[in-house]
Parts: sequence; structure tokens; C-alpha cells
Amino acid sequence: MSQQYPALLVIVPLLSALLISIAGWVNKKLCFPIAVAALSVAALSSVGLLLRVLDEGVVLYRLGGWDPPFGIAYYVDHLNGLILNVVSFVALFNLIAAKKSVEQEFPEKIGPFYTLYVLMVTGLLGIVVTGDAFNLYVLLEIAALTGYGLLAMGEDRAPLSSLNYLYMGTIGACFYLLGVGYLYIVTGSLNMVDIAGILPNLYQSKAVLAALIICMVGVWLKMAFFPLHAWLPNAYTYAPSAASSLIAPLVTKVMIYVMIRLVLTVFTPKYAFDTLVISHSIVWLACIAIVMGAILALAQRNLKKMLTYVIVAEVGYMVGGFWLGNRDGMTGAILHIVNDALMTLCAFLVVSNIVYKVKGHKFEDLKGLFRTMPFTMGAFVVAALSIIGVPPTCGFFSKWYLISGGISAGQYGFVVALLFSSLINVILFFRIIEIAFYEPFGNDHAHTSQPECIKEAPLTMLIPLLIVAVGLVIVGVYTSDIVTHIIQFAIPKGIL
Amino acid sequence: MKIIGLIIAVLTGILLIYATVDFPPWADPGSPASTYLSPHYIEKTMEETSVPNIVTAVLADYRGFDTMFETTVIFAAGVACFFILRTFKRKEPEEIFYRHTLTGMTIRVKNSGKVRQDLDEFERIDAMWTPHYLIVKTVARLLVPFIQLFGLYVIAHGHHSPGGGFQGGVILGASIILLAISHDMRTALGRMREKTTALLCTTGVLIYAGAGALCLLLGLNFLDYGALASILYTDPVTARSHGILIVEIGVGLAVMSAMIWIYSNVSSGGKYDEGL
Repeated sequence: MSQQYPALLVIVPLLSALLISIAGWVNKKLCFPIAVAALSVAALSSVGLLLRVLDEGVVLYRLGGWDPPFGIAYYVDHLNGLILNVVSFVALFNLIAAKKSVEQEFPEKIGPFYTLYVLMVTGLLGIVVTGDAFNLYVLLEIAALTGYGLLAMGEDRAPLSSLNYLYMGTIGACFYLLGVGYLYIVTGSLNMVDIAGILPNLYQSKAVLAALIICMVGVWLKMAFFPLHAWLPNAYTYAPSAASSLIAPLVTKVMIYVMIRLVLTVFTPKYAFDTLVISHSIVWLACIAIVMGAILALAQRNLKKMLTYVIVAEVGYMVGGFWLGNRDGMTGAILHIVNDALMTLCAFLVVSNIVYKVKGHKFEDLKGLFRTMPFTMGAFVVAALSIIGVPPTCGFFSKWYLISGGISAGQYGFVVALLFSSLINVILFFRIIEIAFYEPFGNDHAHTSQPECIKEAPLTMLIPLLIVAVGLVIVGVYTSDIVTHIIQFAIPKGIL
Repeated sequence: MKIIGLIIAVLTGILLIYATVDFPPWADPGSPASTYLSPHYIEKTMEETSVPNIVTAVLADYRGFDTMFETTVIFAAGVACFFILRTFKRKEPEEIFYRHTLTGMTIRVKNSGKVRQDLDEFERIDAMWTPHYLIVKTVARLLVPFIQLFGLYVIAHGHHSPGGGFQGGVILGASIILLAISHDMRTALGRMREKTTALLCTTGVLIYAGAGALCLLLGLNFLDYGALASILYTDPVTARSHGILIVEIGVGLAVMSAMIWIYSNVSSGGKYDEGL
């Protein structure tokens, strides 16, 4: 059975999405249990797969039984073994937490919602697990298409922002496909490892250079890297909470994984960092992304929108950290994918609890929430500390690696940008904590304030949130194990 | 802003043209794309899969996993359209129009009044109704079965000639959409209800993914049709050919119903009462 983990990981959610679609027409109550079962199987397979990778190294799975350059192969190493776990567990926790808010927001469309949800997770898992450049594009399409659908069902401006995302996302995906096309023209292969084997003779080729640039721009568009971020804030802000807390933690991180995979496996670090001299400029772009993300976040008066700009800044952390090109920077970037997925999930779950009870996510809606929703806000404080980077939460450790990577690469601009953004984060989050803690509930009726009682979100929403909040600390404590056992092997040996 | 956009577009264009300098010459038989993997497909396809059409073999077998997800993309598009557009709160339109079939008179019923259902001489018509031309209606009705027959042929004949599930599915879907355009939405829905469409669409993808999963259960890798040999009582190579036919049928079903599903949702704005 363990031979089949890579297939089960993707196939079980796919088949279940189809079953959910049928159940939506027959008996709606079955949709949620099928979805939970499917994502649990996916999560267990991803754990099993990671353990196998730790034991025996790279796992290769030949789909259809064809040998790699002729057929499609799954290729799991330490890097995507780790990311697979992040994706499947984040999706599972969010699914459980989302049950109530889905029933509240679209009671009649439970079937299609869970179908799209599980299909999207299938797409994301497929992107991460594949070793074929074109297969990655197909799964990218699935993840994107279902994402547009899920995001469009939100409040007021959601359909328009989702349409905007559709345009930008499609352009991004097309760019990626064009880049893969260029690579195919000059190498004749679509398998990533195979392309990497052929490329060294073609390092001087202009087509390969163009392919790298086009692929990078496409992936940056999809991950909302600063000047290309404009679609993200509105699309995520107005989305239904169950959808935004799936998409916000995962989509940008998975795209960062794709960038890392393309550079490390397809184009090889030797080409990207030694033959070309672009890494410095990309780190500078990342610095601008971090600073601008932080400043734009400061200008918001809406919790959810503020968090979306924090994501824009975090994308800058990871892109910059990776393109530093040294071991510490890359460790920081990969570790930050894990940590940021968890932090963002925690923050967005808090928002969806607030939306469920208060029906709003503006700053004014947060008044007095520490009294009415103490556990939710407690989790929010943990997420805030982690995003700021306070030990022992996990955010501290990845930032530490990123900063030390920046220092050893001599990129002091990056270090300054990181510290600047951390300071801004302090302001951002303490401002919210202040509003929620000190300002009384319902400012206008201060004189006739009714006795405040605890109106906490239902347990099915609260328990996953608290688990994730505790997880932030646990991942922080076990950081050194993650780095020495997994991430260390994910980075090629040539990089110091 | 427009000028910045223009500059970026021009720069991108220059980059793309600059890259073509190092491309292999046009239609060069020695280019990597035609010398690296293609010879294997051209020489070995018949021997390995017993499918005469190499394109079909690459599409549905060598890279069948991609094709399964392409089918899923179409399914996802159908579900997404349904999810966004479908409105369930049945709000009867303020005015409903009926036509007296014998005299051709139109009557307008306001404020959810009803015409007795058992009267044959009244038929409900759309608000934007224009008299159907007898010729259009009759010709469309006559054409539908032939279109569907051709669609089935295209699906089944993908092994030997250009064709396959995607093309055949679109043709099948077009036949029902033609019925909806030439008559009205209610006629088409009478032939194929919404639930049937949705379930068929799911079933199509399920056939594809299920065939793959069956191979997995029979002990080989996912989508390794060779495993079906023990069920189909053939040798593994012929089983691959049969496996391709099975998944092509799945693709055809999924594409056909997704086309109809998307059409009905978009043209009626999710209300499923009137539209085109």
C-alpha cells in the first residue's frame, strides 16, 4: 500500500469530490463527512509519504506505468514531502472549521461548495507532488478555476474582484505555460528532472533565458509578488470566510513552492545563481514588496484586508529569502512556507469566527471582542505574535534564518526591510488588540450597554482554531528538528 | 497608465521575439522536439498500446493523467458556473406569458396568476418570445439525432482517426443546445433535466478516474490499463486500447453534460425558467 501513497494523495480527494457532487443531489448531509474522510486520507498519505522519503530518499511514482520521460511521473523529495503535509493538514483543519460558516453562508449550495473545495485541494496537492512541468500546469488550472468559483460567492464586490483575479491568474498561468513551451522547444522534454539533465548544454541559449523570465513572471503573478499583487486584496477580502481561509494560506505558498522547484530542479541553481546575475535585483524587488506590503497594510481600516496586505509582505520575505541564494536564506524561505501557511490559517480562522458571530470584519466591528470571544481573540494574539516574530512562536525562527541569510549574503537592504516590516506588524496587531480589548462593545450605545456575556463561536470552529494556535508554538519549538531532518536535505548540496 | 501598459507589452513582445533567435529552424526534422521523445512514440505506440492513432495514445495513455485532469477542469467549470449562478429561491416572474396555440393570441398573466394546466390549447412562452419558424424548428429537430450519431462516431473512432472524447462530447452537447435554441429552454430541460445533466457530468469524470483507480486496485499503478487485462480477458497491450476507449467514453459524457450545464446556467441566469 505504501507504494501507492503518491497516487492516493491526489486520487482519493479527486474521487471524493465526484462523490460529493453526487451526494449534493441525493443527500446533502453526506457531503461534509465524505470531504472530511477524503482529506484525512490525503493527510495520512502525505505523512506516510514524508516518512518514506525520510527513510529511503526520493520517491518516484510512474503514472500509467510508463517510464518518466515518456509518461508522467510523480517525484517526491524532502521539499515537496514537507509542503504536501502543510497543504493537506491546513486544508483538513480549515474544512472542519468551515462547516458552520458554510451552512450559514450558502445553505442550498453545500454540495457544489464542498465539491469545489476538495477539487481545489486536489489541485494544490497535485501541483506540489508532480515531477512533470506540464502536469503542473493542468493542476494549476484546476486549483485556479475552483478558486475563482469559491471566491466569487462572497459579499458585495466579490464577483468583480474574482473576475479581476481570473484575468490576472489566467495571464499568470499562460506565462508559465509559455515558458514550459519554450523549454519543450529547446529540450524536447516535459519531465523536470529530464529537462534539468539536458539544460547544461543550453545555458547560453536565449530561449532558456526567456523561459526562465516568463515562468518567473507568471509564477509571481499567481503568488501576488509586489507590483503584480493588485488582484489579491479585494479577491480575498470579499470572499466567503470558508474559502478565504483555505485560499489565503495555501495558494500563495504553493506558488512559492513552484518557484523554488523551478529554480532548484528545472533550471538548476548553477544556472539561476551563477550563470545569470539576476538574484540581486530580485532580492531588491522583494525588499520593495516587503516595505510596500507593510505600508499598505498600515493604511487599512478592515481586519481582513489588512491581513491580505500582510500576505503581500510575507510573499516578499519568501521570494527574497530564496533568491539570497545561500543555505540560510533558502532554509528560511522553505521554513517560512510552513510557518506562514499556519499563521495565515490561524489569522483567517479568527476572522471567520468573528464574521460568523459579528457579521463584519471592519475595525469597528472588533470592539470589545476580548470580552465576548476570549478564546478566538487568544488565538488571534498567538497568530499576531507569530507574524510579528516573537519567540517561541514559529514566525520568529524562520525570520531568524532569513535575517542571518541576508547578513551572510551581504544584502543589508533585505535585513532592514525585514526588521521594518516586523516593526510595522507590531503596530498593526497591537492596534487591533487595543481596539478589541479596551474599546467597549458598541461604542454608540455606551451608556445603555447591556451586560456582556460570552458569545463564543461554536466548538467545531473553535477547536480547530485552538489546535492551529497551539501548533504555531509547537512548530516553533521543533524548528531545529524540521530543519535538520527535512529542510536541510531539500536544498541541493552545492549551495552553502 | 495606458502608456506604461503599452511599454510593458512592447517589452514583453521584444523578449519573446529575442528568444526565438535560438529556436530550432521552422519544421526542422532535427529539432529536439522531433528527435528526443517523438521517435519512441512513433515507433512503439502500436506495439505498446495497439492504438493506430498516435495522438490518441499519447493523449489518453502515455499522458492520460493530464487528460483526466483536463476533464476535471471542464467538470470544475460546470460546478463553478452552477455554484455562482444558480438561484434556488424560486421567485416567479411578475408576468407570465401564454399563447393560445389555435389563434396565436398572447395573453399576459400578472402577479403569479395561473392558467389552468389541463388546457391543451395554451402553451407557456418566454417573455422575449418570437414566433418560431416552422422550418427552423423542424429542421433542428430532424438534425438532432444525426448530430448525436455523429458525436458517438467521433468518440468511438478516436482510435483510428482524428476525434475522441472531447470533440465528440462537444458535438453531443451541441445537439441539446441546438434544441434549446430552436425551441426553448423548457423543451430542452424536458429532454434532459438539470439533475440528470449534473449527475452525467460527474459520472463521466468518475468513469475516467474510476478506471484508473480500478487499475490501482488490481495491483498496478494508477491508470496502468494493462491491469484491466484480467477483467477484459485480453492481453495487457489490447487492454490498453480498451482502457483508452473506456476513458474516452467518460470524457465524452463529462464534456457533453458540462456544455449543457454551463449553457443552461448562463443563458437563464441560473433561474432555469426562460432563456434564449
